[in-house]
Amino acid sequence: MEVLDKQRRVYVLGGGVSKFAAERVDGSMRDWINEAVLEALEDSGTRIEDIEHSTTSYFSDHFDKQLKAGAIFHDNIGMCPKPNVRVEGGGGTGGLAIRNAYAYIKAGLCDSMIIFGSENMGRQVPSDVAQQFIALASDTDWEVQVAGFYIAYYALMMVAHMEKYGTKEEQFALISVKNHRNAMYNPKAHYPMDISVDDVMNSRMITYPYKLLDNCLLSDGAASLIFATEEWAKKHSANWEKKPTIELTGTGCGTDFMRLADRPYPDPGILHFRGKQVGAEMAYKMAGVKDPLKDLDCFEVHDAYTGVELVSYEDLGFCKPGESGKLMEKGVFDIGGELPTNTSGGLIGFGHPVGATGIAQGVEVLRQLRQEAHPKRQVELNAKRGGMDSHGGTGTFCAINIFERRD
Amino acid sequence: MGLDQIKNLMEVFTAEDPMAFDHPDGDPWADFREIMRIEWKMDFTYKHILGKYSKFFIELANKKFVTTECKNCGKVWGIPRPLCPDCMSITRWKELPGTGTLESYSVSNFVPAFMKVEIPYVLAMVKLDGADTLFTHQLKNYGDSVDAIKMGMKVKVAYTDEKVDHPMLLMHFEPA
Repeated sequence: MEVLDKQRRVYVLGGGVSKFAAERVDGSMRDWINEAVLEALEDSGTRIEDIEHSTTSYFSDHFDKQLKAGAIFHDNIGMCPKPNVRVEGGGGTGGLAIRNAYAYIKAGLCDSMIIFGSENMGRQVPSDVAQQFIALASDTDWEVQVAGFYIAYYALMMVAHMEKYGTKEEQFALISVKNHRNAMYNPKAHYPMDISVDDVMNSRMITYPYKLLDNCLLSDGAASLIFATEEWAKKHSANWEKKPTIELTGTGCGTDFMRLADRPYPDPGILHFRGKQVGAEMAYKMAGVKDPLKDLDCFEVHDAYTGVELVSYEDLGFCKPGESGKLMEKGVFDIGGELPTNTSGGLIGFGHPVGATGIAQGVEVLRQLRQEAHPKRQVELNAKRGGMDSHGGTGTFCAINIFERRD
Repeated sequence: MGLDQIKNLMEVFTAEDPMAFDHPDGDPWADFREIMRIEWKMDFTYKHILGKYSKFFIELANKKFVTTECKNCGKVWGIPRPLCPDCMSITRWKELPGTGTLESYSVSNFVPAFMKVEIPYVLAMVKLDGADTLFTHQLKNYGDSVDAIKMGMKVKVAYTDEKVDHPMLLMHFEPA
């Protein structure tokens, strides 16, 4: 695959994130989208009447008992009669929306695009019904009927990883400690907390090796990003000259079988996210990333569960298979470490309103590369690149995107 | 009358500004903090077709474990597939002995309540003898403690004579 038109580049003009919380009783998805979009417009110095296209990012039609919700979001922010498209890939939806912006702008279908994503994570139905809706995102004929649910699927992967590589529960716990801690410096975060490895280890066992504090939470919220070509930005963005220039330089996507059981056995079997390896390779090649640990300054990694983040380090090429736990112990991924991950707090600390999550990752990398993050979570810029990894199912959809500062 | 007119009304309340600290000029949504919550009931039942996979479930009722074999490449999928995704050939049914090896397992102390299983329950991934990919089901009758479960142990498909809600529950795994 070659990107032919090297002259036509895609820039990240601005972003916005609503407050993430367990239950935003002050509004609904459409209200949170408005909140995120207003911030993205102000941040980018653009006006909605100039933006040519939008992409909708949300996962479930069930939680909000609303199909085609994108039409509502799009008309709420005054985008009609301009074009809109929805993308959907479970937890990877937001990352796919960023990739979609790249494709549409690069192809010349538009010069500017706003993407917005949200999820009403089910506090409007009893938690049992919410769990049932989430289970619908695995194979309902085969997996759900045997009492499969997401924590259990991921536990099956982690038990195999622990068996093969000697990965430890305490190493998983370190992810939870880091992400809750990073969230303390993100005022939009759902779950900021100063906790220890012991707190995680002593929290209620759900499915071995996962305890309560190994899991992300269901959050309400929304996020938005605005992309455009340089020519469009010069004409329509009041902040183009004022703020550092950030470019979307790489995008990759990979997939795997819906059911864990169908994945090529024994390699990679259920040990790794094959789709993530494929997507990362694509994105790195486009962005000129050779050694991700050195060529990137920060990375938002999909941490629906602590072990997912750890295994993702291996599949994103930060280290060899089986080495992620040891690097985590060394502090490589802490703020101040070689490659700080989930500086926003990630899904565990910042929150996981599914359709917003991948976009919020992009907003965080944008803030980091512009050096606008809270001083306690701001990373040092060397390579001036940041990555994000958005992932659905048990790695069924993986979208990896790279932003780079150009000045 | 007034709000009493609304049959499905649950509550009317004033919501707080979740971002109060972030607005130097005050709450921009101050005019929109009065919130109503209503109840909306939806209830539906699917008449679900199990499609070209149906024979698997029919044979479970006969206490047989069948899956599919690709007529072209010979790959046997643990979970049957009418079309082999490796070579896009139509497959054929094949009976397996129902024995296998435990590749991974998880012990859950919590399940969403809609799932009718007693906790703790064990989800197992099994490499069935004669299949090239894995199969996921519950592991039962492993003894008094989950400590008896070991990676790599031999297991077998077992069948129940009880009434079940879904044909998938006609089987489970047990230590061989």
